Amino acid sequence: MDRLEADFCVVGAGAGGAVVAAELAEGGARVLVLEQGPQHDPDSFTARPPEMLGRLYRDGCQTATVGSPPILLPLGRGVGGTTLVNSGTCFRTPPHVLERWAEEFGLELDEATLAPCFERVEQALSVAEVTPELAGANAEVARRGAERLGWSHGYLRRNARGCVGSGVCVFGCPTSAKQHTGITYIPRATAAGAQIVTGADVQQIIVEGGRARGVSARLADGRRLEVRAPEVVVACGTIHTPLLLERSGLGGACGQRGGNLALHPATSAFALMDEDVDMARGVPQSVYIDEFASDGFMFEGAAGPPAYAAMVLPLTGERHTRAMADYRRLAQFGLMVSDESRGRVHAVAGRAVIRYDLCDRDLAKFRAGLLRMRELFLAAGAREVYLPLAPGARPESARPRDLKLMAFHPLGTARADARATHGVTDGDLAVHGTLGVHVADGSVVPSALGVNPQLTIMALATRLAFGLLGRAVSSAPAPAGAHTSANGRAS
Amino acid sequence: MSDGLDTFLAAAPWPQRAGLRLLVALVRRPRGAALLARAPLVEQAAWSTLTLGRYDDPAVGRALGWDAAAVVERGRALRRAEGRP
Ligand SMILES: Cc1cc2nc3c(=O)[nH]c(=O)nc-3n(C[C@H](O)[C@H](O)[C@H](O)COP(=O)(O)OP(=O)(O)OC[C@H]3O[C@@H](n4cnc5c(N)ncnc54)[C@H](O)[C@@H]3O)c2cc1C
Ligand code: SF4
Repeated sequence: MDRLEADFCVVGAGAGGAVVAAELAEGGARVLVLEQGPQHDPDSFTARPPEMLGRLYRDGCQTATVGSPPILLPLGRGVGGTTLVNSGTCFRTPPHVLERWAEEFGLELDEATLAPCFERVEQALSVAEVTPELAGANAEVARRGAERLGWSHGYLRRNARGCVGSGVCVFGCPTSAKQHTGITYIPRATAAGAQIVTGADVQQIIVEGGRARGVSARLADGRRLEVRAPEVVVACGTIHTPLLLERSGLGGACGQRGGNLALHPATSAFALMDEDVDMARGVPQSVYIDEFASDGFMFEGAAGPPAYAAMVLPLTGERHTRAMADYRRLAQFGLMVSDESRGRVHAVAGRAVIRYDLCDRDLAKFRAGLLRMRELFLAAGAREVYLPLAPGARPESARPRDLKLMAFHPLGTARADARATHGVTDGDLAVHGTLGVHVADGSVVPSALGVNPQLTIMALATRLAFGLLGRAVSSAPAPAGAHTSANGRAS
Repeated sequence: MSDGLDTFLAAAPWPQRAGLRLLVALVRRPRGAALLARAPLVEQAAWSTLTLGRYDDPAVGRALGWDAAAVVERGRALRRAEGRP
């Protein structure tokens, strides 16, 4: 058995883990990061969807919920975690969500408290608004529709530097423009002395006398690794953090471990336009429409190369072939629901089983959202609209099993709540009832956000790291990023 | 089956892998396709997987205005020129 020692052992190198690791290491702590997946080499990114889905995503992008309807739930695996394969959209936590957290979960997190955390993260990730030139024609279709209908919309803010709009963010950015945590925070962590071990599957958190003593892991070559550390930060993501806590016998007293799962279920529609759209030219997710945010749904861009479009297009047979022959004139846009449905994750034979059923209120949001989506495309001048519904189903009467859904934002399975009887973690993200174990990933986010979550997760991780160092969060500029642009495109 | 689709399917846990391979085999044959047409969501899964492979073919992509190799080459050149990671 191999043995290592550290002040802090961080489990998982995704959105939350990488941020905590870098901030702790730069604060002078001895940090060890254990990541189950590999370090992916951008030289091996091919911009070809099936191959990249197989290589960059957990289980070849085949993670899915069990329930009505089943929902595909892609997760990243490797240095950078899901940030390596995400779309790069950046939203701060909406203020009304923070207010709800204070009232419902007793969390002392308001806009002012989190502002320096967000500033730090946004600087580190070079977050900036997409320019109209980079947004591309697919975004322009949705923008035109929203404009004509008078719907509130705008260009999204993203973590990208020197982006050239190559359209494959979710298949591995070949230009390293997307500032995922694997090329931002992880290099900072290692520069500050942190050690990163890839291929390390953490099996258990070792607890003695009610306090963390480290973790045990299995390495890719089968060897065992034991890490001695008085502080463990768990950041395996919303699906795998509750499983590690369960294997370690932690966080179960409140009955919430693995429960309270929100997903932001989503879908997308296509439209056949008169003009060439070439949807893979430009930033796939560059425009949002938030006209209906208070009704619980939002629209955001979605697009990709032909193989991706063919996979997602809600048609079969001859109709699919005809629509794909017109790929250059196809536009696509996404619909995301801020869900009230709640699911649960548990382990069966060591694997995650994710139970999630769409509740009636969320079904109503999808029905309304799909009708609005059709309205949007028609206002933009679409000849035909292809909604993600089973043949013969109509949006206004669609049943859960008629919907073709995916989800990208699992949250809440180790939810933060000041009360030990209600939450797995407390307001400082410490696991209730155990000393030295904290959680820094999507699992602590106690409710759906209604917006993409990576920035929220990273801001909470920043706050946690500074809390562990016993320092106030400074919003001073983070160290320079991993590269500089010679052509002036970088923000 | 394309190399890319093979990589995709090989990475899936065995029940999904076996299921998707079976669906792709069925949807390719007229009688199998007719059988699948009775279960629209299953038929959709079969088409999604089949066409993920079909439209990944570089020649098919180029005919539709998409050149993956060119995108990758441009990315590599930019990374080299600008010292990106
Ligand atoms: C296709 C896609 C697009 C998205 N687009 C956006 C977007 O535009 N904007 C946005 O805000 N969000 C987006 N998201 C969501 C966002 O990326 C995630 O919410 C975020 O990355 C979650 O962070 P995390 O720290 O919880 O987990 P992750 O980033 O998933 O990191 C968890 C890490 O832990 C590792 N791990 C798991 N178990 C173990 C173990 N036992 N031992 C060691 N390591 C382990 C995993 O391999 C993984 O690398 C998208 C997601 C997807 C799938
Ligand atoms: S659009 Fe292309 S260059 Fe820009 S972040 Fe996405 S993959 Fe990278």
